[in-house]
Amino acid sequence: MLDPMGGDGMAALGRLIGRGVGEAVVIRAVVPLSGGASSATYRVEADIGCVLRQFIFQRTASAEHSGLPRGVQAAVQQRAGALGVPVAPVIAVAEPGDGLGDGAVTVLVAGEALAQKWLRMPDYETARAGLTAQCADALARLHAAPVSTWADLSLAGGSGAELLAGMFARYLELGVDVPAFDLAFAWLKPRMPTRPATCLAHGDFRSGNFLVDVQGLRAVLDWELAHLSVPAEDLGWLCVQAWRFGQWQLPVGGFGTREALFEAYRAAGGVVALEDIHVWEVFGTLKWGMSCLQLADDHVSGRVPSVERAAIGRRVSEVAADLTYLIAFGDL
Amino acid sequence: MSHPTAPQLLEAVRLFLLEAEGALSGRLAFHAKVAANTLAIVGRELALDPDGAQSAALAPFGGVSALCEGLRRGALDPADGALLAAIRAATLARLAVDNPRYATLRRLKDREIP
Repeated sequence: MLDPMGGDGMAALGRLIGRGVGEAVVIRAVVPLSGGASSATYRVEADIGCVLRQFIFQRTASAEHSGLPRGVQAAVQQRAGALGVPVAPVIAVAEPGDGLGDGAVTVLVAGEALAQKWLRMPDYETARAGLTAQCADALARLHAAPVSTWADLSLAGGSGAELLAGMFARYLELGVDVPAFDLAFAWLKPRMPTRPATCLAHGDFRSGNFLVDVQGLRAVLDWELAHLSVPAEDLGWLCVQAWRFGQWQLPVGGFGTREALFEAYRAAGGVVALEDIHVWEVFGTLKWGMSCLQLADDHVSGRVPSVERAAIGRRVSEVAADLTYLIAFGDL
Repeated sequence: MSHPTAPQLLEAVRLFLLEAEGALSGRLAFHAKVAANTLAIVGRELALDPDGAQSAALAPFGGVSALCEGLRRGALDPADGALLAAIRAATLARLAVDNPRYATLRRLKDREIP
């Protein structure tokens, strides 16, 4: 696999982008943006017909990666864009012959991706005020598309009850006893919907996956966990405490109220019950807690020795408190 | 005094890691900060004994494993007030060690289970 910052890699990236835009491309610079555990992201500057344009190249970085292949992700993202969800337009998807691994190029959309910044900085006050309605609108558009929209992409999915059963099996495999987690599994079991999936869920629709400028939501990022489910899954996940970055009084991503989200989602044509959002918020909180347990297990088992993963294991107590509060009092 | 106690050694290493953080950048600086926070957790755990507190809170339900097993088998009702109160006490004891500044800690402590 070629290094996109090396000479051969830059040439390959130039050919890939050229294929997408249908013109000759000269790469001027490739700058690494972040080294996530499962994917690597680069900003690419390219000369196209004497105009300097900027792109994002993102590729899967390790075999640990469990999300959708880039080609499927790109298709989902493009179709979501066609439904009116703000997304970064896809330019090209790498093929094995490109030597660039499982990657894709999108247009660089200007905006701030760090939620800690746009949730706190005064410059983004107008953006925050409009964000709940924009999120509700984006989700209502995505969820309104029939399941047949995605039929050819062989996406995973299932009923809420099946998702919970899968998570419970994983919990038992890990062999730990967290009383508040068992409380949540027992509380959720009779409440999870058993009907089949009715729509595509983004699967990771939260503050950390939004690109925001001073006007508001510019793009919804990271479509690699998209799957077939029900609308309330995305709405509940957006309310999980872990994405509020300290702005806990505003349950919707640290910027809005549940009531405003619910009203705006319905006004945009979405169909959902407030109680269902609560059930999926409990589910989402438990799902985040399971990620903490899993990351801790990576360290404890010796698979991935890491002070960061070991420390995340102690965030289980935060999730336990959130679950206890949610179940005892009905909101958080 | 003769020699530094275990908490004093932990505190010395925690302060060193914070100093090292200032001289590092990127991933290493972040990991130095995480490591310092982790030692603070160990220090609180030595002082507070959360395992003991959790066992005591859950004793009326036979202890941690028995309570979890009871919920898994459906023998315990997740809406039972006494059960919720016991889990709340156990959870608060652990969170006081793992992250005493977490907003939900104060909120959970201050509200009565209905």
